[in-house]
Amino acid sequence: MGMLKKTTGLVGLAVAPNAHHTLGALYGKIIRTLQKMPETSVYRRYTEQIVRERAAVLSQTKDVYELEQKINCGQAEELIIQAENELNLARKMLNWKPWEALVAKPPKGQWDWPPANP
Amino acid sequence: MSARQAIQVGTKTVKPVLSTTPGEAKRRVLNLYKAWYRQVPYLVKDFDIPKSEEQCRAKIKELFLKNKDVTDIRVIDLLVIKGQIELKESVNMWKQKGHIMSYFKPTEEPKPKDFLSKFFSSNE
Amino acid sequence: MSYFLKRTIDAGRNIGQQFLNNAKTTALQRVATKTDQAAPQVETRPTVAKLDPLQKSQLIDFGKYVAECMPKYVQKVQLTAGNELEVLIPPDGVIPVLQFLKDHHSAQFASLIDIAGMDVPTRPNRFEIIYNLLSLRYNARIRVKTYTDELSPVDSACDVFKAANWYEREIWDMYGVFFANHPDLRRILTDYGFEGHPFRKDFPLSGYVEVRYDDEQKRVVVEPLELAQEFRRFELSAPWEQFPNFRTNPATEEVVNPAEGPAKK
Repeated sequence: MGMLKKTTGLVGLAVAPNAHHTLGALYGKIIRTLQKMPETSVYRRYTEQIVRERAAVLSQTKDVYELEQKINCGQAEELIIQAENELNLARKMLNWKPWEALVAKPPKGQWDWPPANP
Repeated sequence: MSARQAIQVGTKTVKPVLSTTPGEAKRRVLNLYKAWYRQVPYLVKDFDIPKSEEQCRAKIKELFLKNKDVTDIRVIDLLVIKGQIELKESVNMWKQKGHIMSYFKPTEEPKPKDFLSKFFSSNE
Repeated sequence: MSYFLKRTIDAGRNIGQQFLNNAKTTALQRVATKTDQAAPQVETRPTVAKLDPLQKSQLIDFGKYVAECMPKYVQKVQLTAGNELEVLIPPDGVIPVLQFLKDHHSAQFASLIDIAGMDVPTRPNRFEIIYNLLSLRYNARIRVKTYTDELSPVDSACDVFKAANWYEREIWDMYGVFFANHPDLRRILTDYGFEGHPFRKDFPLSGYVEVRYDDEQKRVVVEPLELAQEFRRFELSAPWEQFPNFRTNPATEEVVNPAEGPAKK
């Protein structure tokens, strides 16, 4: 522990110089984006839960290896990618508003299989 | 492009393909027709087909007029899209001479119409 | 930390890392243990696939999770063949649902395996578009299904998955479903000048035209097909109709069905 990480072992994924800082900033952004959603949104609730949990681990750990082991979802660089994706998703979700009621009920018999029951 | 608005077809409201009004659809058709028309000299030259420009223009007109009775905006739109794809295939020389000539169907024999010719053709 | 689809046995994926078991109890994990106890039957027949009850309960939970997160777009969630999770959505929801499954922390279905089409002429919307996704992170697969008809455009998934480009071209070619905002929608399998969409059920097995080399013209010519009428039969019934299991043993079980009240499971 404490040694310098030289590679992620994954092609095209460079070692993040300051993973703790990047992750902290991203998690903060995600939380702020989520707070624009209504309280009742289930997506907001679950994502907040996940992100807060990760942020808590982040604040408890100093070492990158320890962080990776505690979060248990890949390397720190992968965690950064996941957080970036989630942030983009959350921003798009604000437009889509998926917490609203169902947009269109399926027409009758649309999902029946086998089709056209006698 | 589409998604947001809706158009009226018959009695139900549906999602448009491209156009929202009959006028818009008509404009697309005319634009496509003009695009084909302008490409005719190049097509004749590039594909080296044994047809004159007049014959090609007449063929284009015939193929467009084949669908003149279509009124549904979405059907028109889809036909226009297919026409655009076909134009692109021709202009970029993805097609070959045979594909262009298949519009003219020179080897197809006309179907027998009157009694006698039907009788002869059935007896081959 | 994700609660679903967690595979603890994936050692050797990352350098110098141990994977700890997720020891925290959450509300959703308690649900998982409840469904665990449902069916402890053991499959003994050697030719029948063994079902993994843990995997099944995880899939069920994940199905509920998706339906909860996106109530606007999920019409139904079902489990097919015991371990295949299917999310049924209206055509408006293609982009949001795929984006959610791709980017959400506990989904991460980052690779699009395939897009398939299906034609059932008796249905109100005859075509089904089926997206198969794979999550490498959680070693799980999911299937997203939507519907459309001949004229309604479906939003292209190219913005979400680059891989969708050719699959959508294939569906456009084979079924004639138009994908709105596709960057390069053109034919991919059929010959230039080919008319019709061969995978539609009303497309005759023999096709409409025949192609041959003409000696006089010195090139390939296309001519209308001439066949006796009985060879042009349209076969619309499913070929497996004769097996009793087809109608009496439906392969799907409902997980969530918000359109018709709470789930029966």
